[in-house]
Amino acid sequence: MSFDALVEAIIDGVLTGGVYALMAAGLSLIFGVMDIINIAQGAMVVLGAYLSYVLSVHLGIDLFLGLLITVPAMLLLGMFLEWGFMRRLREGDRTSMSILVTYAFAIIIEGFLTLSFGTDYDQLSAPYINSSVHILNFYLPDIYIFGFALAAVVMAGLYVIFFRTKFGRGLRASLQNRTAADLIGINVNRTRMLAVGIGVGVTAAGGMVYGATNAFNPGSGYDLISRLLAIVILGGMGSIGGAMASAVFLLVAADIVAVAWEPTWSILVFYAAIILVLSFRPQGLFGARAARAQ
Amino acid sequence: MSAPALIEVAGISKSYGGVQALSLCDLSVPKGSISGLIGPNGSGKTTLFNVITGYERAREGEVRFNGKAITNSTPDRVFDLGIGRTFQLTRIFGRLSVLENVLVATQRSESWARSLLRRAASTSERGRAMELLDFVGLARLASDLAGTLSFGQRKLLELASLLVADPAVLLLDEPAGGVNPTLINQLAERIRELNKAGKTFLVVEHNMEFVMALCDRVTVLNQGQTLASGTPEQIRADPAVLDAYLGGDIAGEAVAEQAKKKSRYKPTVTAASPIQPVASEPPPLLTIDGVIAGYGGGDILRDVTIDVAEGGITCIVGPNGAGKSTLLATICGLLRPRRGEIRFRGELISGLSPGQVLARGISIVPQAHSLFPQMTVVENVEMGAFTLRDKALVAERLASVMELFPIVSERAREKAGSLSGGQQRLVEFARCLMLDPALVILDEPSMGLDPTTRGIVFDTVAHMNTTGRTILLVEQNARAGLRLSSHGVVLENGMVRLTGSGREVLEHPEIEALYLGGSVSEVTI
Amino acid sequence: MSSAAGTDPAAEPGRTPAVTVLPTQRGGWLVAIVALAVAILFPFVEGGAGDEGTMSIAFFVVIYMAAVSAWNIFTGYSGYLALGHAVFFGTGAYTLALAVKDWNVPAGWTTMWLLPLCGVVAGALAIPLGLVALRTRRHVFVVVTIAFFFIFQTLATNLSFTGGTAGIQVVSPPWTYPVYNVNFYYVGLVVVVATLALSWSVRRSRFGLQLMAIRDDEDRARGMGVKTTRVKLAAFVISAVPVGIAGGLFANFQNGVYPQGAFDPLFDLALALMGFIGGIGTLSGPLLGALVLESLQQKFTQIFSNDGLYLIIYGALFLAVLLLLPRGIVPSVAEQIRSWRARRGGRTAEAAAGSGLPKVAR
Repeated sequence: MSFDALVEAIIDGVLTGGVYALMAAGLSLIFGVMDIINIAQGAMVVLGAYLSYVLSVHLGIDLFLGLLITVPAMLLLGMFLEWGFMRRLREGDRTSMSILVTYAFAIIIEGFLTLSFGTDYDQLSAPYINSSVHILNFYLPDIYIFGFALAAVVMAGLYVIFFRTKFGRGLRASLQNRTAADLIGINVNRTRMLAVGIGVGVTAAGGMVYGATNAFNPGSGYDLISRLLAIVILGGMGSIGGAMASAVFLLVAADIVAVAWEPTWSILVFYAAIILVLSFRPQGLFGARAARAQ
Repeated sequence: MSAPALIEVAGISKSYGGVQALSLCDLSVPKGSISGLIGPNGSGKTTLFNVITGYERAREGEVRFNGKAITNSTPDRVFDLGIGRTFQLTRIFGRLSVLENVLVATQRSESWARSLLRRAASTSERGRAMELLDFVGLARLASDLAGTLSFGQRKLLELASLLVADPAVLLLDEPAGGVNPTLINQLAERIRELNKAGKTFLVVEHNMEFVMALCDRVTVLNQGQTLASGTPEQIRADPAVLDAYLGGDIAGEAVAEQAKKKSRYKPTVTAASPIQPVASEPPPLLTIDGVIAGYGGGDILRDVTIDVAEGGITCIVGPNGAGKSTLLATICGLLRPRRGEIRFRGELISGLSPGQVLARGISIVPQAHSLFPQMTVVENVEMGAFTLRDKALVAERLASVMELFPIVSERAREKAGSLSGGQQRLVEFARCLMLDPALVILDEPSMGLDPTTRGIVFDTVAHMNTTGRTILLVEQNARAGLRLSSHGVVLENGMVRLTGSGREVLEHPEIEALYLGGSVSEVTI
Repeated sequence: MSSAAGTDPAAEPGRTPAVTVLPTQRGGWLVAIVALAVAILFPFVEGGAGDEGTMSIAFFVVIYMAAVSAWNIFTGYSGYLALGHAVFFGTGAYTLALAVKDWNVPAGWTTMWLLPLCGVVAGALAIPLGLVALRTRRHVFVVVTIAFFFIFQTLATNLSFTGGTAGIQVVSPPWTYPVYNVNFYYVGLVVVVATLALSWSVRRSRFGLQLMAIRDDEDRARGMGVKTTRVKLAAFVISAVPVGIAGGLFANFQNGVYPQGAFDPLFDLALALMGFIGGIGTLSGPLLGALVLESLQQKFTQIFSNDGLYLIIYGALFLAVLLLLPRGIVPSVAEQIRSWRARRGGRTAEAAAGSGLPKVAR
């Protein structure tokens, strides 16, 4: 494996890592807020991709501008899911039950998408998708750079929301000490609902970038969710910064494996990561919240 | 001389982070005895149990069983050796039947492969299990789901499940806690019978009647150390023990006085001269009328009626398990009373949510640490005014609160979790004043604090009162609490036993008896 | 020694007897025998053997009955949610296919003798997988089993000896329809009965008691002498064997195996759904769940060739069951029967004769 190929793999991994971080952010956030493992995250990304697709192909709206519509739409979806379903899970076995419940969501979303779009592969297109920046010997596709930039913006936005707004303070408070939050008058239910909404809304952005960089169909969610789970587990459930770091790390590792051996084996990097990390350090590399004993 | 020690604990120390739970603790349980382990809240009793039975590791020291060291063994090893224990929060296998619960421990010396082929229990094992169920009076419930048992029945089941393994010694953690008084005697009977049959017991209990009547030897723990050890009579007469339970040893108070003089904080009113309420009694600010409440298992408050006078400091004292914290939880909306009413300024508030109670002017500082550990001190205090929209007002309040509590400005930007227990308490007080409440409720404000800080805390409470706020206080440290207060209430077993002015309750002759055995008939002075 | 008044605990109607204690009621055995008779005679009933569509559905039903019952031995009794048993199903399927291909096993009844091998391979695989997965806490365990599933799906798709995406073909047994379906059905029935027997014996054994204690309070169980790791691992391995056999049978029926079919993500979900619908931790629950759901599933695919609608209904059904009927049909029905009996018996729980100790108010 040549040095150039290695560097290319690394750069590629970093840029793609940004995209994946964007997709994983929602998953991490929802776990941090609700102790819920959202297996439907992959399906939601695909849903986001399809929403952007519809706006772009049928209404001619630019992909990035279209986010102004798709993000609020998915925000509402997230709020609805929390209010209607997640809230009803009993405290005791909430996390295990949430896996089944969100798995069901994933199936429903996939079904709905199959019904609407069939099983053919689609991809988002835009004038800037196929152009790239030429630096030294390497071609950096524009869309990946935009995607990375978008990821950075979104992360910054999330940071602002959670650390600089009243809502964010209320949310952090309720996570640190629920009883005290109740006693201070914070409406914990409403706060959580909005937080889950934000988590799903952010996924719309992830979906757009994913759709622009990959061919997708309704069944793409499965492959995605396994990668996203690996990223979030490695980075620590509930740590968004950790998700970013581990996304980059895993994608770089996967890319190197793809270049050194074969692309088909690169996915194993993710699975191996999940198993190894969980066996020896259940809280992930950066996670502050340990996997709880049931 | 007394029998050789079956269990011996020597010099055990254990700490959690900055808190020293056990400090060079010693304990000796003679073979064939029923030994009691008592001590105030937070003295380390359950921690000691956990260390002995392997659920927690000790930093130093030794635990010996029959002379052999067993320090830091695993729980299953300890059980194998013949040491059984019950838990403060009763643990049973809820989805198994009562009989099956008892059968679980018969498996312990079996290899798992054989256990696949064997029936759940041979006839003789089943018979033995039924005998034990009979012994504790649960035989007719044998095929019932364990989860449907009542609170007291679960305790009995937990006991029976241990007995089936025929342990040599049984460690019981608050066996009489929360149990119907009629059942307590029966429980004591069972323990005596088992003891006659050769079993040794170590019992942690707060119910002094129970302990004094049942145990032939009692050890007292205080702040993680062994304070005294002897027969029940000796313990009862020991002044140091009395102090530990009623709180505030004289030396500590003197230190607090000195410290107060040296500190920058100068309250205008000291704890020695409490505010007397207005001569003509105004209508009570808060009325609690016939409240019956509890969580799931059983009623903890059995019929509580209290009037909290406006402008005064009312202190509620009582032994553990009396229901003090439950009462406060009911007032502030975390628990809904099954029966009875709570009114604030005449308005019904029982059944409202905590937020709604807060809006009406009642603030509470709970017993457990309630700061947000990852947020800074000043952020925490500002959170107190979370429901206020007027930023200017919030800033104003913050300023006045900072004046009252210099620690807020001193440690403003530090994470709240890094402060000591006493400092956190003061920040909690600061936070609860942000909404300018008419009634401030404090749940054990001085718990876990050293004497100096305790003194500061009490002074602060007195000071909050000078500005016209009514204070309702639950205190483990009965002496200091009552000395501070205009009114006192004694709660025992979920009912009010004694009311009067602070001084009157404090000097009432029966209060010592209450804390160390013998209950008080209802007296209102 | 003081003792309570001697009353026979089992003889009092109106109590709430435990679901777990196996009633040696005559009623239970009778139902089982009747059900078995129905199952055996079913192919000869009008619309049975004559209609190959129905028999094929029946075959899939018994496959799932076996798989869910086996899965229940682990998940139902231990409380650890395993969502990766498709690994064992697929492994069993591939084992059969590879064995037939590499050993040139003649088509027909001889291939059935390979089934135990499929079970053994699946069980052997469960040992290392279990050792890794069971180190983690409950909800993390679920994710690990899901991860295993994806790993095996990838391996099957990419390894050369598994034939890649095309899979492996198996020579079809030389039976004509409808005998073909009927034969497979009976073999499947044998597997179901064997699995049920296994499940039943686990439940009434010490081992089963320990498992269920782990389910309720693992730490306390350990404190009372239960060797939790070994017990959990044993249950995991035991549950893998019948699933492997079912996989092998499936491969034989389909005359081949390919990655998507053998390692189908919906399979695990189906197991969970059937288990939950029927009632986790019960004996008849998995059977009922498999019967109801698989028949529906097969009917649906015949009616709705449209994948999308099928998925939506499936997911919605799953959600409904999880949220509305968390304990499943069998326990809820059992509850109803009990309260009906109590009313008929004319006694209430409180009125029963007392023992030495007074009943403490709740």
